Amino acid sequence: MADLPILLLNSFSYILVLILVAMGLVIIFGLMGVINMAHGEFFLLGAYTVVMTDSLGIGFWPGLILAPIIVGLVGLALEYFCIRFLYDRVLDTILATWGVSIAIKQLIIIFFGPAGLMVNPPLPQLVNMGLIEYPAYRLFIMLASLSVIGFTFFIFLKTDMGLAARAVIANRNMAASLGINTRQIYRNTFTFGSALAGLAGAIMAPLMSCDPQMGLGFFIPAFLAILVGGTGSLSGILAGGMVVGGSDSIISYLFSPVSSQIVVFTLAVIVIRIKPQGILGTKRNE
Amino acid sequence: MNKFAFISPNGRVNIIRIFVLIALGCFPLLQDAYLLSQLTVFLVYGLFAMSLSLIWGYGGILCFGHAVFFGIGAYIMALTTKGMIPGMTGIFTSTLFALLLSIAGTALFASILGYFLFSGRLSGPYFGIVTLAVAVVAERIATKWDYIGGFNGLTNIPAFSIGGYEVLDPLVLFYVILGICLILYLISDRIVNAPFGTILSAVRDNEDRVEFFGYNIANLKILIFSISAGIAGLAGALFAVAAEFVSPTILGFSLSTEVLIWVALGGREILLAAFLGAISVRTIEALLSDILGYYWILGLGVLFILCVMFFPRGLFGQLLSNKPRN
Repeated sequence: MADLPILLLNSFSYILVLILVAMGLVIIFGLMGVINMAHGEFFLLGAYTVVMTDSLGIGFWPGLILAPIIVGLVGLALEYFCIRFLYDRVLDTILATWGVSIAIKQLIIIFFGPAGLMVNPPLPQLVNMGLIEYPAYRLFIMLASLSVIGFTFFIFLKTDMGLAARAVIANRNMAASLGINTRQIYRNTFTFGSALAGLAGAIMAPLMSCDPQMGLGFFIPAFLAILVGGTGSLSGILAGGMVVGGSDSIISYLFSPVSSQIVVFTLAVIVIRIKPQGILGTKRNE
Repeated sequence: MNKFAFISPNGRVNIIRIFVLIALGCFPLLQDAYLLSQLTVFLVYGLFAMSLSLIWGYGGILCFGHAVFFGIGAYIMALTTKGMIPGMTGIFTSTLFALLLSIAGTALFASILGYFLFSGRLSGPYFGIVTLAVAVVAERIATKWDYIGGFNGLTNIPAFSIGGYEVLDPLVLFYVILGICLILYLISDRIVNAPFGTILSAVRDNEDRVEFFGYNIANLKILIFSISAGIAGLAGALFAVAAEFVSPTILGFSLSTEVLIWVALGGREILLAAFLGAISVRTIEALLSDILGYYWILGLGVLFILCVMFFPRGLFGQLLSNKPRN
């Protein structure tokens, strides 16, 4: 039964990356009320940054550092040129970012072509873990995701910036009248959330074939994780990510990826029906 | 605007309505068989866009996966008329019965989905993205399901037939579909101008207030969602007949995106604007996509962003609105 630990470890690394993607979405949504439909495409941009550095011969690691920077800048530009004009029409931001996602995906197709591209494995060796041998790169993924997730929690819970951000989440107008520059916080949050998606994309790139449609494959589960976990708090994301990511990877191992999509989706819809506030039952912030 | 001051806004809208009908009706005079078959399919897309406008523009329900209903309608049509549904033979494979089954099937599916989502008080962006997930999952299922043709879909769909008479002439098919579009337009227009439509617009503008008046929001939304899905299903069924094939691509992500763009560009708050949006975007696409290739979709995406930012009422929306500019 050497398969079981591998399966568990694999699903754990998938869960962590999913949480990374979902966290970027949820902090943008929690703060600004904006659902960034281009989040999956930010993930895509992160992955293609690595594809680019890899094919230029600089290798994977510089790409991993570049990806969050580049995608963060793209996020900043999007906020500056588009989102900030739509703050009084929040529902329209979902459409505008949807248009952005179409445009980014198409730009990737124009520059890199529609076919899947591979990245050379950055850490090809296996690590002996007693019972099993496990790819070193997947261990790196877990370590990196865990530290970024921890870092985000630290910023939000322990720093002044995080305190101001949480104040904006709790009551936007009150925070603004207390002298918190909400626009500045929106911009920082949008950039940070985008950078998280870029980082997640870069981390996942060596594990999968990178094609222009891959963003959606992470956006939808990440969003379902948010729905299942509830949007009220950051910790809801951890629970939602575990439920969605865990059941997704286990069912696709046991049966097939298609059946896992159906099951995960049905599960999410039922959870929405029974516990609209998410499984942790925190109040939805609308 | 001032130039037309002697015509009331309602009069102007009626003139445009009649003009559109005459322009479409006279189109076959061009005697171009290829263009005619294209326009027949575009009419179907127009009907589909109108069904999205009904829930999005009037009901305020953003649906990112509307193609799911179009696709289900198309598949029901194809499977029924090809006699592939077990136990259904003879009269049950007729076009008319298949059309009714497509409408009923999609409306039923939408009401079940709507029951789960709307009763869970899912609204706004949440609802949109869940429907997007439905479309993606549906496309995957259709691709893997060999009985309904898998990745390649179904071809050789029997021609449209009314009481034993087969419509093989593309010209007649064009007028049949134009007639169906006209009837559905009149019905939808009636719905949005009836008291029910007023309540619907009120739900769009302020859900809580309508609820305080004692209306059941979830039921209202389920009802309009099912009506819209039924029309989308009918459009899908007509597509199966007009295009003579169905494939998983009409069920999923890309068509859902396209219809959203058509409706946003045309004008989501006016049924006719959405209809014209679909027809004009498809016509321009037919003319330009060969030249522009991949850049066409890029341009469409950018146009969509600009339209959302600067013309939220759409390109035809302002022209066809009988309300003053605000």
